[in-house]
Amino acid sequence: MAEERRFRSASGAPIALRRRQHSACCRELAVRGPRLQLRSLSAATSAVWLAAYGLFALSENSMVLSAAIFITLIGLIIYLHFVKIDQESLLVIGSLGIQVTSSYASGKESTTFIEMGQVKDVVINEAIHMQKVIYYLCILLQDPEDPQGVSEVVPLFQSSKPRLDCLIEVYKSCQEILEQRKTAPQSS
Amino acid sequence: NSPAPLPERAIYGFALFLGSWFGFILYLIWAYIPETWLFSLGLTYWPQKYWAVALPVYLLVAVGIGYILLFGINMMSTAPLNSTHTITDSYAKKQQQKKFQEEAIPALRDIPISEVNRMFFLPEK
Repeated sequence: MAEERRFRSASGAPIALRRRQHSACCRELAVRGPRLQLRSLSAATSAVWLAAYGLFALSENSMVLSAAIFITLIGLIIYLHFVKIDQESLLVIGSLGIQVTSSYASGKESTTFIEMGQVKDVVINEAIHMQKVIYYLCILLQDPEDPQGVSEVVPLFQSSKPRLDCLIEVYKSCQEILEQRKTAPQSS
Repeated sequence: NSPAPLPERAIYGFALFLGSWFGFILYLIWAYIPETWLFSLGLTYWPQKYWAVALPVYLLVAVGIGYILLFGINMMSTAPLNSTHTITDSYAKKQQQKKFQEEAIPALRDIPISEVNRMFFLPEK
């Protein structure tokens, strides 16, 4: 079963959270950000081309114009492939692990898998980020020596930065799965 | 350590007042009186007058850069989102768990973030 709800990101952009329950101990939560807007793309392109035309008018060198076109194309491709993240998803499989996927606008997907033995907990943490205090969801990794300690913090949903109401939904879903590993019999 | 006026403080204040007036008059003499007049008085080894303008400018630019520098140092010292310093620190790791005593106020301790999250975001009843 799948359901989709609309939320806002920390900067005010509209995002959508989609929850899918694949089975009793497997859940997928995907946060989708807004697509690349035509108006921001045309604004950036016009700004670069107008600046290049101004430079051409000053310097009478036509290479400036072709360089501007080149820079715009290459910049757009680099932005879509390396910067613009369309969807970030979290797949929690109880007793197996957690998989974090980021899908870029060009179609590239980058995945990280953390096995359940390393996961201590999934929590909502607050920290200072760029002159603001934001809430963000993060996975606490277990320290092998110290059972109470945290060895590493893996922040999630870094580019879409959902607000607290969306994070609480994701947190509750994750905690339902994580609680099962405490009540489940110790098999390994 | 009260800020009340004392005789010693009055003397320090007056000495500083006289000293700063003396320094200011000296600076004005150095900056405005022509070099030839100073040479004729025998004062030949004073620094170049260039510095009478340059040093205040250096000082003001340093103050302006100091604002930006302090802002930048603050931003660099802020722990990144993926560091454990946002969750705990060396004192919290070494804290001892005191035994729970009946009818006594519980000892002060750093509550782990998992417990805090459960209390805030998972309302049981």
